[in-house]
Amino acid sequence: MKAKKLFPAVLSLGLLIGGGLAGCSSSDDKTSGEGGKDGDKVTVDIFQFKVEFKDQFEDIAKAYEEANKDVDINITTVGGGEDYGAALKSKFASGNEPTIYNVGGPQDVADWEDKLADLSDTAAAKAALSGTLEGVTKDDKVLGLPYNQEGYGFIYNKGIFEKAGIDPKSITSYSALEEAVKTLDSKKKDLGLTSVFALPAKETWVTGLHLSNVFLAPEFDQNVINAFESKEVTFEHGDAFKKVLDLQNKYSDQPTVSLDYAKQVEELFSTGKAAIIQQGNWVSGSIAGIDEELANSGVGILPIPVEGYKEDSIPVGVPMYWAVNSNKDEKEVAAAKEFLDWLYTSEEGKTAVIEDFKFIPAYEGYDAGKISDPLAKEIYEYSSAGKTLAWTFMGYPTGWGQEKLGINIQKYVSGEMTWDELVEESSKAWAEARK
Amino acid sequence: MRNRNLWYWLFLAPALLALAVVVILPLAFGVYYSFTDWNGIKTPSFVGLEHYKALFAEEEFREALWFTTKFTVVSVFLINFFGISLALLVTQKFKTNNILRTIFFMPNLIGGLILGFIWQFIFTKVFASVGELIGVEALEGWLSTETTGFWAMAILMSWQMAGYIMVIYISFLEGVPQELLEAAEIDGANSFQRFYHVTFPLVMPAFTVSLFLTLSNSFKLYDQNLSLTGGGPYNSTQMVAMEIFKTAFVENAMAFAQAKAVIFFLIVAAISLTQVYINKKREVEM
Repeated sequence: MKAKKLFPAVLSLGLLIGGGLAGCSSSDDKTSGEGGKDGDKVTVDIFQFKVEFKDQFEDIAKAYEEANKDVDINITTVGGGEDYGAALKSKFASGNEPTIYNVGGPQDVADWEDKLADLSDTAAAKAALSGTLEGVTKDDKVLGLPYNQEGYGFIYNKGIFEKAGIDPKSITSYSALEEAVKTLDSKKKDLGLTSVFALPAKETWVTGLHLSNVFLAPEFDQNVINAFESKEVTFEHGDAFKKVLDLQNKYSDQPTVSLDYAKQVEELFSTGKAAIIQQGNWVSGSIAGIDEELANSGVGILPIPVEGYKEDSIPVGVPMYWAVNSNKDEKEVAAAKEFLDWLYTSEEGKTAVIEDFKFIPAYEGYDAGKISDPLAKEIYEYSSAGKTLAWTFMGYPTGWGQEKLGINIQKYVSGEMTWDELVEESSKAWAEARK
Repeated sequence: MRNRNLWYWLFLAPALLALAVVVILPLAFGVYYSFTDWNGIKTPSFVGLEHYKALFAEEEFREALWFTTKFTVVSVFLINFFGISLALLVTQKFKTNNILRTIFFMPNLIGGLILGFIWQFIFTKVFASVGELIGVEALEGWLSTETTGFWAMAILMSWQMAGYIMVIYISFLEGVPQELLEAAEIDGANSFQRFYHVTFPLVMPAFTVSLFLTLSNSFKLYDQNLSLTGGGPYNSTQMVAMEIFKTAFVENAMAFAQAKAVIFFLIVAAISLTQVYINKKREVEM
């Protein structure tokens, strides 16, 4: 009698617990199977951040799998700066560690140091352009390989400049820029502009990281490691910084604090309602989505002038680095290195990098003439002429650029804070973070 | 007796197990981490009460807490006011009652994130166009100042939750015995007196539930905040949940964020429990 009653209870209990555990155990099976039991196949899990080239990257990985039957490549893409960092941490915390992942700069290298394989012996590391490995080299060990190079500045609409009678080549200093902006502003109606600039103060990465970098880089001798190790920031070129920010804010669509990337690039610039925006070569895709012709032949890039330092240069840097997880077994690490080498140094890989990914290569041995994107091409020209500024914002204290300086800039443009307060508060926050 | 006890625990076991695995253990781990210097990657080491000491000195956290409190007070009032008004409206004898109920409830079916984006469009584009058309400058540039951002959040929240709260009030309003109301009417009570002296005390349990739900929901709000204002401008509309998330993932201070979360949990729990306790005392037995 008792047994009869007990049976359904035990059964239901068993089902509940069993069902719950089955969910966990099945995923366990998957990870343990990865070791390469089936026909010595090596699985390389890639966890990367660049959404723009996701499809092209997956295609090239497939081509690699075709040629190397013993390698299996899985690509997961999670885009957008801060989301990637959070997702990567959860990925590692879940125990399902990727083989290849991305690190951004010195802070990331310090954080992830225990899980970074030495990549010094790869062909790609040897081919990397001088300076591109600065942020990821520690004790002579190369811990990351650059994706590509990117540059930013003032992107302008060639048609509008022509109509207004301004020669963009003449704009190589702050005063020339100011002059051009005033000319554009006076002809706003004829040119169909709502404003000359579109300053996206809502996007703290545009103001707090990119814009500030131009004026802070000289302070750190344009070296990201110097920035990373610096205990303080003094805003040596703060006046030049203020001038450029004020200029953008004064001649921008208002209110700038709620102006975001989509409005800046797609709604205002791509439709010809704004003549100049501060952005980088990555906007080509967004512009092409609205006006293909404008993206292919109607845009150019101008330097962001730092009065009293360099007024004709463009900040060029590496947005992210490939890292290989040293926790994985040797075979997997070797396969990962081989794949990255193939991607950046083989003929097939090189073609894909330039033509499909539309990257500005960060490695030697590329035919620059093949770069098809006009913005990328111009940036490459600045780069080969040596008219560049380094990306030192990768060495800012964690969160400082966006959460502290970027927020202070929002306060400044909405009149909640004076410039002196901004400098003082931001320097204090830097010193605090580096205590 | 003993036999019943065995059955009792046997059937309770799965629920207890689930509760332990998904609520109690993580909570315990969270509290533990708040005493360490964990950054999400490295093995943590113990730092004691350091984070708790630093916590209240941090301006950003205090500001977020203050903003959240203001927001909660306003939205709890608005949501319940509109909730009960709508409930009273649709319990009258109209033909369109069922359709109206569905319509009022519908906003609640849309996810918080999407809702935020929809209202962002309304506040920035629609409001600006209307403002331009009728020449009211105050309607332009919503979401770009602290005050308008605050009210935008409150409007969004009321719009979303009022329908849900309405349903709770309806169920209680319909349970009010007609004979009591009739008796009051015969005794000469007017409609306001009937509501205030008869209906109101009887729907008190609905207030307990609704206040609890709106209070805790407003306090913990995250997705609407993220998609509508993103905390901007200059973090002035940043609520506590968002501030904690940023501390954890943007500033990379996992343990510090955990300490904030523990304090936040205690505050929400204390306020909600006090509210339920007070409300319970005011409920009347029929």
